[in-house]
Amino acid sequence: MNVQFVERLGAVIAGVAVAVVAFYALYKDWQSTGVENQVFKLMLALLGLGAVLALLAGLNVIGFAPPKVAY
Amino acid sequence: MSVAAIGADAHGDVDQLYVETRELRLQGFLLFLISDCVLFSSFIFAYLYLRNSGQGWPPPGIQRLDVAFAAWNSVVLFGSGATMHYALENFKHGNFIKYMWFLLATIVLGAGFLGGQAYEYNHLIFGEHVTWGGSGIFGASFFTLTGMHGLHVFFGVCYLSVLVLQSAAGVYTKGKFFGITAGTLYWHFVDVIWVVLFSIFYLI
Repeated sequence: MNVQFVERLGAVIAGVAVAVVAFYALYKDWQSTGVENQVFKLMLALLGLGAVLALLAGLNVIGFAPPKVAY
Repeated sequence: MSVAAIGADAHGDVDQLYVETRELRLQGFLLFLISDCVLFSSFIFAYLYLRNSGQGWPPPGIQRLDVAFAAWNSVVLFGSGATMHYALENFKHGNFIKYMWFLLATIVLGAGFLGGQAYEYNHLIFGEHVTWGGSGIFGASFFTLTGMHGLHVFFGVCYLSVLVLQSAAGVYTKGKFFGITAGTLYWHFVDVIWVVLFSIFYLI
């Protein structure tokens, strides 16, 4: 178990947590109206998307994994 | 009619001037965020244009950025966005203690992200010898964009710290909390910008 594995594991676990929280918050606020709530909904969606991207990067589905080097 | 002559209306502590100008403040703040989007968009466009100018990426002698640490650092920042959302929600529902805890968590996670960026910079500059001025387009674009974003995160952390002090002093009430709303909008904006930067620097 090296540092990169720990980082990826952390990214996967935290990514799942943040994505679930973001999309759940989006679901709960979906019916809200007003300019600021529309902006919040958009930003929550993008936040969830970011968490999904980080999760996929942690799983090595996307992104680049260089050869193992010591930090 | 002077401001001093306007007292609280029938709905409690919110005066009429505040109610009438809230929309104006929101529009002004959204315009500010849009202007910041334009700022980042111009740099991002320049980076993407130069990257696709046909010289290959990354340039010779420079390794691709490692995504593992960046992914971890990214979810730290995205997590702070989630805690900031719940801070605002708890304030709206009158849960002041929970609001303060979520706000403090946001500040800690934001500062943690900045620490992660400092670590990444240290590794790139002293480990990989990638610098702002000495590594061509790659160094210039990476450090400019992530540095600008980091500066925004830093100012955001400062703003949220001021929010903590103001909240503890009782500045914000259930009917008057635009400062908290603006802070939440700004923090989400900073998160969204990092989604883009993370994608273009580490994933493609």
